[in-house]
Amino acid sequence: MSVQSPPAQAQAPAPAAGAAPGRRFDRALASLRYTPGQLRGILAVLAALILGAGVTGMTAILAKSAVIEETTGQSGRLSVAALQLYQALSQADATATSSYLTAGTPSDEMNDTYREALRDATVAIATASGEVKTPADTELIAELNARLPVYTGLVESARTFNRLGEPVGATYQEQASTLMREEMLPSAHDLQDNALEQLNESRSDAEAFPWAAAVLAVAALATLVWAQLWLSRKTNRVFNLGLVGATLLLVGFAGWLAFASLASAGHTDRSHEEGAVPLELLAEAEITAQQARAEESLVLIARGEDSDAAERFETHMTALADPGQLLDRLDDAFADDPELSARVDAAREAADTWRSGHDEVIKLAQEGRYTDAVAMAVGDSDTSLWASFRTLNEELTAATEVSADRFAEATADAQRSLSGAAAGLAVLSLAALISAAVGIQLRVAEYYA
Amino acid sequence: MIRHQIRLAAAAAACFVLAACSGPANMEPPNIDVPTPLPSGIDFEPDIETAPVDESCDPLASYSPGAVTAEQARAQLDDGEQISIGISQSTNLMGYRDPETNALAGFDIDIATAVAEAVLGADANIRWVPMTSNERVPSLDEDRVDLIVRTMTMNCDRWNEVEFSAEYYHAGQRLLVPTASGITGLADLTADHLVCTGNGSTSVRTIAEQSEAQAVTVPDFNDCLVLLQQGTVDAITTDDTILAGMAVQDPTLQVVGDAFSVEPYGIAFQKGNTDLARFVNGALETIIADGTWQAAYDKWLKGPLAVEGAPPGPKYRD
Repeated sequence: MSVQSPPAQAQAPAPAAGAAPGRRFDRALASLRYTPGQLRGILAVLAALILGAGVTGMTAILAKSAVIEETTGQSGRLSVAALQLYQALSQADATATSSYLTAGTPSDEMNDTYREALRDATVAIATASGEVKTPADTELIAELNARLPVYTGLVESARTFNRLGEPVGATYQEQASTLMREEMLPSAHDLQDNALEQLNESRSDAEAFPWAAAVLAVAALATLVWAQLWLSRKTNRVFNLGLVGATLLLVGFAGWLAFASLASAGHTDRSHEEGAVPLELLAEAEITAQQARAEESLVLIARGEDSDAAERFETHMTALADPGQLLDRLDDAFADDPELSARVDAAREAADTWRSGHDEVIKLAQEGRYTDAVAMAVGDSDTSLWASFRTLNEELTAATEVSADRFAEATADAQRSLSGAAAGLAVLSLAALISAAVGIQLRVAEYYA
Repeated sequence: MIRHQIRLAAAAAACFVLAACSGPANMEPPNIDVPTPLPSGIDFEPDIETAPVDESCDPLASYSPGAVTAEQARAQLDDGEQISIGISQSTNLMGYRDPETNALAGFDIDIATAVAEAVLGADANIRWVPMTSNERVPSLDEDRVDLIVRTMTMNCDRWNEVEFSAEYYHAGQRLLVPTASGITGLADLTADHLVCTGNGSTSVRTIAEQSEAQAVTVPDFNDCLVLLQQGTVDAITTDDTILAGMAVQDPTLQVVGDAFSVEPYGIAFQKGNTDLARFVNGALETIIADGTWQAAYDKWLKGPLAVEGAPPGPKYRD
């Protein structure tokens, strides 16, 4: 670009030294009647728009990152801990009731399962209490934390009396399960609901498009284009390299902003559809199965004195295995995934075996063949209900692991599509600003040369 | 200009750091109730039945054995080859599952076995049908069982629905308390004492009428023992047979005071099965005469009740 002498008529009046501050605005307005002033005005508008787009774009991306970080971070950890707590408590109760029926001599496997469930529950309580954000959640965790030792105390009393051959052990076990069923599991469920709600709020934040930044970027682009047209009319020169550079940089800015936002929204959505939703379903199925198992054992522990337990078993089993219920919904969710749908099919088979076996156990118990009923319910033969329940549980756990991996993958993809975007957008907008400023300043300088 | 932008960016970044860190800064510690485990369905203020008791009959008067043969009795079984007996498997010492062997055992079981063998012979095919107390009358009506030996008190209301044998055990309502409580009988109970018993049982009414203690009811009286051990209630009241079954499980508890109600236990049959009732009455006389009854009593109840028990004498209406 060659520098030409400025047109004489555009000579700006020299600013009067020591002018009263009140008159500055008038003078600035007056200066807009002349080209250099107009150029400075354009630069001011461009600077404002580019800066605006840059700051809002960068902050939007940073916010998205923070939110995605949160789904794997705070809310994510809270919802995972809440889910683990709910599962561990159900598992503990299912195992405690089953092992009670083995006449004081539970298998090593049952003992280990019970202890592991208690460990998982206490770890989950500790994790969750570090992640809670609301007083309501704090209270739920405190309630659970206060009740867990009471529950384990009742279970140990039940075991001791059972070993001593005192029937009152059965009542202790029933009381423990009542505490679990009526106070602890509902609290754990509420905590899980709250955590999932917070997670869903984060997700819709993460999927939102950064409209403010997009509008500002488009406005800056429009202004740039208009300024170039205006300038080429004024100066009879087609290109102002500074402004052209700024335009290209801004186009890059807008493109990156749109791409990063849409891609991360897509990944976040996938993490929800392929990860979080089936994970919730799987967990619900597992927990329902565990609660059904606990009720089944209680029917036998109560020696026929608790007909409500039989009804509660039916309620859980219906919610798990009836047409259109949890297992069917899982089947639908995994329809086009052979690995997961094979797991669900195996789980379904185990649930069906368990269900028909349960009717047999109830029949045996009603006929007074109590020993046979107990052997069928908790015995370690391959045909016992314990075996069916264990298979069901294992299949659901395996499917959960696969789903959890998918969730983590999609969240990582969402995070990756944002990586560098915030810094990149800041650099692009800064460069655009500098480029526009240089381009316009060169023109302005011609008037004072 | 550039410096300005850097400052803006720094400010924006600071906002995020702050937002990310604004966690549970000043949350008050939550107020949590002291967890007290309670059985579901516990009622601390149960309604007390006040309708007059039906005393229009002599509840002890059954049918005399006469000349009814085992053949005639078997004809009234639902299935002539086996005998179905309704029992409890949750009432320690009377009818319960031994937690170690899962086998049925108890005083009621011994009496029922002896009766079944009288009807069907020594290798009687007995089908034990466990049931709750509320299932007793319906299970006879629905032919699920032939007879019921399950701590069942004979009274006029029930005579309208079932046939009873002669009295096979003379129970009465008493109190189970911690030995250290100093309570020695009904007179020691005050309005501050909580007394636990099964809901829907006549024990609630008896204790409410004869003492000012506050009754607490639970769906299954076994819950009472746990509540007493946990200190939630001060005493348990129900039939002495059931209290004995609780007392043997805890050396710090004892059955105290005189019986303050009369609970004659009878074997129940479906209404109209009088031949079966007559034959069983004959069998009961034999069981009492040959010492089977006394052996069962000594095995199960003598120690816990600390009373030299004697079999009740039969009373017949014809």
